[in-house]
Amino acid sequence: MRLGALGAFGVLLGAAACDGGLEPDPVCGRGFVGACGTAHYADTLPDSTDAIFVVAFPTFPQRCADLLAFPPTFRPFPPFALPRPYSDSAAYALPLPADRYEWVVAVWKKQGSVTFSTADTALFRVAGDYRDPADTAQRGVVTVPTGAAVGDIDFVVDFGNLRPVSSYVACASR
Amino acid sequence: MRVPLIRPAVLLAALAALVPAVALAQGGDRGRGGVVRGAVRDTRGAPIRGAVVGVPGTTLYAVTDAAGRYRLAPVSAREVRVRAAAIGYAPATLTVSLASPPADSTTADFALEPSPLELTPLDVVSTKVPRFGDRAATSVAQVTEKDLDRRAVNTVDEAIDKAGGVQVLNGQINIRGSTGYVQGLNSRVLLLVDGVPMNQGDRGGINWDLVPVDQIERVDILKGAGSSLYGSAALGGVVNLTTRDVPVGAHGRLRVTGGVFADPPHAEWRFRDKTGLQGGVDVSGSYGTEVAGARFAVGERHSDGYREQDARDHWQTAGKGRWQASPRTRVDVSGAWAVDRYQVPLRWCVQSNCDNRGQAYQPFKIDQDERGARTDSRKGYLSAQVRTVASERMAWQARASWLRTHFTDYRRTSSEYAEANRWGAEARAEVHPDSTRAVLVGGEATLSDVTSDIFGTHSQSESAAYGESDQAIGAARLTAGARLDLLAVDGGSLSAVLSPRVGFTLPAAGGTLRASVGRGFRAPTMAERFVHTVALGFEVVPNPNLRPEVAWSAELGHTTPVLRALRVDAALFWTEARDLIEPALVVDTAPKIQLQNVTRARILGLDATVLAAPIPDRLTGMLTYTYLYARRLAQGGTPEEPLAFRPKHLLTLSATYAPGGGALDVGGDFRYVSRPERIELEGFVDERRVAVKVLDLSAGWTHGPLEIRLLVVNALNYIYNLVPETLAPVRTVSVTAVWSY
Repeated sequence: MRLGALGAFGVLLGAAACDGGLEPDPVCGRGFVGACGTAHYADTLPDSTDAIFVVAFPTFPQRCADLLAFPPTFRPFPPFALPRPYSDSAAYALPLPADRYEWVVAVWKKQGSVTFSTADTALFRVAGDYRDPADTAQRGVVTVPTGAAVGDIDFVVDFGNLRPVSSYVACASR
Repeated sequence: MRVPLIRPAVLLAALAALVPAVALAQGGDRGRGGVVRGAVRDTRGAPIRGAVVGVPGTTLYAVTDAAGRYRLAPVSAREVRVRAAAIGYAPATLTVSLASPPADSTTADFALEPSPLELTPLDVVSTKVPRFGDRAATSVAQVTEKDLDRRAVNTVDEAIDKAGGVQVLNGQINIRGSTGYVQGLNSRVLLLVDGVPMNQGDRGGINWDLVPVDQIERVDILKGAGSSLYGSAALGGVVNLTTRDVPVGAHGRLRVTGGVFADPPHAEWRFRDKTGLQGGVDVSGSYGTEVAGARFAVGERHSDGYREQDARDHWQTAGKGRWQASPRTRVDVSGAWAVDRYQVPLRWCVQSNCDNRGQAYQPFKIDQDERGARTDSRKGYLSAQVRTVASERMAWQARASWLRTHFTDYRRTSSEYAEANRWGAEARAEVHPDSTRAVLVGGEATLSDVTSDIFGTHSQSESAAYGESDQAIGAARLTAGARLDLLAVDGGSLSAVLSPRVGFTLPAAGGTLRASVGRGFRAPTMAERFVHTVALGFEVVPNPNLRPEVAWSAELGHTTPVLRALRVDAALFWTEARDLIEPALVVDTAPKIQLQNVTRARILGLDATVLAAPIPDRLTGMLTYTYLYARRLAQGGTPEEPLAFRPKHLLTLSATYAPGGGALDVGGDFRYVSRPERIELEGFVDERRVAVKVLDLSAGWTHGPLEIRLLVVNALNYIYNLVPETLAPVRTVSVTAVWSY
């Protein structure tokens, strides 16, 4: 009888302890608002790498200044960074307000201090961007719904093809 | 100022020089006073080690060795009532007569009846004088050798957080919510090894692996302020480790342990392809006669760890010697040295700092910025004590000690180091004017120094005088005492702290009522005063003007047996603290962190322990519960709020079943700690935290000199953390074999 009570007590303890504890928390789950996906890495990571950011532009920037001024801007710095190490692939979740984004771009930054001027463009390279799944020759448009996340926003970060931002917009400085 | 290393040698040499003088002085006493010797066994004839035998109301007491033997001297010629007691056994008293002149020797052998509800018969921590048979006025908890064996732990902190009201947060001990978590920068609990203070000289923290766990026989935990006898750091309590004595004869002990860590319970959290292992070996050998004895121990441990970058290697050596310099004078010398190299999993990975596999955080992985971080640490101590029983009415004791700690933290961008010494000396006299009264007077001096690139080069001295009187008034006992500490930093001006305490015990309602009130303090450590480093991106600047933390603690408790199968102990406690030192954000040209006397706090609560033996000699159980109401009081513009890292509820349930009462036993401990309402640096760290619900299981088999124990710690692999971004241990399955000769 006493041993039975002890066993029941043990089961009770086990049941109590089975409840709770730290659990996995998907970045794209439970009310997350923004864009989620996977960054695939290609080629060799340059030694001068400082970080790789992901930035979403509601409209494609027309001028160099737009790169830093468009929402979401690079301020507060740093913006959302992809998780290290930069090899193989990594899931990411970019917090964004509900909106339509014409350009979701992976920005490689080399080591150096940011001055928040157009001179900073010398520190940044476009490493990849989200492409339209139906036509990968085109940039993909990302629409973040209200109060939810949009998934499968995958792109390739190609360290062998880091392009200066001047390839996309005209910059007076360098 | 760098204090020359000659000092510990000088202190110890002075003590060594004192011993022959004492022995010679006692030479004239040889032959005066008789000896009572004998053995303590259970009713089956098995020797009881660690039983206490003594003459109540005198200086005479002894602890039995592995063969159950004891020796009391000098006993005056008369009829003497000798009392023997051991935890788990009913105490017994024998009356023996010694003839005169000359006083002769006699034998008193005891056979103790099992009584699982009996508490420990000896209190060595609450009054500094070993108190035989009486309950203390302040709550004292014990972790016995049996508990240590049953839990098969590698460091003693793993065992003591099962004691009521005690919680260890990442190595930092809290007794009734005393310390919180301050990343090892201080401790509001004082560690003693055989009565000698061993908190680090620079940071004031505790190295739990300073003494090999295999050399520890018992742990006594004083709950509440103990500064009236122990001075600084005994603000929230005192933990005393009693190391094994050197038995008569040749003895050896081999302890081998090996185990595996469970993998993370979720595939998303996997961080390695192999199973994490841990293991270690401890070997010790001793030889002793009735006059002298010595033991030497060495050990090594390796752990792969249960997280990324969590490997640890530990090497240790320890020794102990005893010498009965004269029939009345005993000398004990002990020391230990440990070397550690461990990787540092400083913080778990939150989004963007590792391969997160689509998770917001990865508790088993580390922030990539901290990859490669490790710490090399060395620490050791040497202590010598002399105790002379001048007569049944008077004894005196002196000690000298040296504690040295050294660490180097290697980080990606920098490294930090500190080496510190703590020298101590103490002398005290214990007087029993009559059988109803005991008086203790003493003085203590401590000198600490540090050389460090983040703490600077400094020294701090503490000198003190103390006294305490214990008086029987009818059936009650009244204890009152005080200690005056004088503190100085770098040889500067002195500041004084007075720490009084008063307490009483009274038989009541079939049990014993106890009450005490006392003042405790903690001097700021040199690390707190002079630290200059960077933490969490902020510059941490020194504050040489820190004042001691002070607190008044009071408690009212009662212990009583209930229905023959239960013993209930409950205490209400109340602590009012002020000038607690905590990090504060100061704005100069840029935001900086500085340690300041900023906090007034109130901690009150209930501490209860129920000991049960529903099937005597086979099934025993224990429930401990602590309720904490810990508040940081409103001050300036800061509203009242919960004290950080203090849970409201702590619960431990333990049970042991030994079928047949013999070779085989099984048991378990369940620990529940509620989620702390508040943590420090909220907003700067990942705030995830959950309640603790941990179940440990064990099974042991003893056959002659061999004991094998299977231990499953955190059997349900409950994933939790006690401090921010630091995962607590996962399920660990280990087998420990101990062979004793």
